[in-house]
Amino acid sequence: MASDDSTRKPLPAPDADTAAFWRGLRHGELLLQHCRRCRNVQYYQQATCRECGSDELEHKPATGRGKVHSFSVVYRAPGPAFKTDVPYAVLLVELAEGPRMISTLTGSDPEDVTFDMEVELAFDQVSDDVTLPRFRKA
Amino acid sequence: MSETSLRGKVAVIGIGLSAVGKVPGRSPLSLAAEAASNALADAGLTKSQVDGVLSSHAFASPFHRFSVAFSEYFGIRPTFSNTLQVSGATAATMFSIGAAAIQGGLAKVVLLVAADSLMTGLTPDLALRSLTESRDQQYEMPFGIPVANTFAMTAHRHMREYGTTPEQLAEVAVVHRRHAARTPGAQQATPITTADVLNSPMVTTPYHKLDCSLISDGGAAFVLTSAEHAKALGIGKPIYVLGCGECYTHEHIFLMPSLTTTGAVESSRRAYAMARYQPSDMDVAGIYDCFTGTVVMMLEDLGFCRKGEGGPFVADGQMSYGGRIPSNTHGGLLSFAHSGMPGALFHFHEVIAQLRGQCGQRQVETAGLGLVHSLGAGFATNATIILGTEGTL
Repeated sequence: MASDDSTRKPLPAPDADTAAFWRGLRHGELLLQHCRRCRNVQYYQQATCRECGSDELEHKPATGRGKVHSFSVVYRAPGPAFKTDVPYAVLLVELAEGPRMISTLTGSDPEDVTFDMEVELAFDQVSDDVTLPRFRKA
Repeated sequence: MSETSLRGKVAVIGIGLSAVGKVPGRSPLSLAAEAASNALADAGLTKSQVDGVLSSHAFASPFHRFSVAFSEYFGIRPTFSNTLQVSGATAATMFSIGAAAIQGGLAKVVLLVAADSLMTGLTPDLALRSLTESRDQQYEMPFGIPVANTFAMTAHRHMREYGTTPEQLAEVAVVHRRHAARTPGAQQATPITTADVLNSPMVTTPYHKLDCSLISDGGAAFVLTSAEHAKALGIGKPIYVLGCGECYTHEHIFLMPSLTTTGAVESSRRAYAMARYQPSDMDVAGIYDCFTGTVVMMLEDLGFCRKGEGGPFVADGQMSYGGRIPSNTHGGLLSFAHSGMPGALFHFHEVIAQLRGQCGQRQVETAGLGLVHSLGAGFATNATIILGTEGTL
């Protein structure tokens, strides 16, 4: 049983706070939370605004544009599940709306990633229920 | 500081290690008991005099309440106990919480003890748990991001912003290996060059294999009591807790306010303020060295050099003997040993031994003040402790 688990990639298990986010991705939208009270824009999804505590949060799709704030190309996989993927580039992307998020590069050579590289969202359906937000070179 | 400051109120009166390095066939509890026995013998106490126990979690142990399981295993029934969890920073918080418990009257003699067998003791199930439990399952884990990757992204950004070079990072590993060569029992003592580091396999850019800390078995333990009780016991050379500080800036790496300036700035500022000393007063340091770039950033954030100058500082020999701040003189996590959460306790063991003047050929001359900084989870957790001899009170 352990070996089955270790070769399967971890998939997100949405909870009450985040169900809308993962539903949005299935429909091709990366939802950010905009606070109606203090205008804070936040990623990830939660019940309240991290700045002012308000629960008046509106889900709005991100434009999908961003740039690479930092990155690291993984050559040694963190466990058997990612072994066939190396090398792959983990990106810390700064979205046009402000928040940063973690994802990976798709569609081009991971070794060509540079700081401040412009990227755009790519939706990667990895199972019936889960679509992961990845990024490709813009 | 206020009257409630912990400054000088609590002393470390015993230190001990278990067998460290590759230690097959020993459970974390067994290693913890060995370290605890050594620390109590060093203090000249018996286990019946211990009324408090603080521990950290052990990956290779099935016990969630490690401090409680340890107490049963060791045959004691403490009236103060907890298993702390702030990742790599846990080691330093064991000292501050232990000291606060003594100062607040919750316990008289607190045993700090932790051990793990990451190298030889992990079953496949426990190894999987150790891999998957450390990052968020929704927003980080699906992308295949190991803890090394979060630290790598901070170092990479540091290179971008300040021009830190791979050679300077490699020099951190070289210095640690040179230090370890003088430490009996160090897991890796064969000298290396910067070329060796740069030629070792890439793990996650910019980190090569030799930029990464070891995986080890082993544990450490310490005995804390009040300054008055230490005197009453006739302890030869108590080492005092002079300052403590912590800072928690984020959980997810993407919410780290700055990738290159960390919570260590605030945790050390608080520790220095409580201790009433400056970075320039420190004689020796133990700096959490999970990766080479971590050390570069910490030398800056702990105030030993200016922001962005950590790379040249290391290359200039400033973190070794004769330099500004001899650090990790035992070889650190990079070359002495890294058995998970207990890894940072080895820095405490070394700095306290330095302050006691017990380090033989590794001894830093006139070491009176020492700083130990431990951190974890992609700089999410930072904790600093300043220690000193009687003369520094």
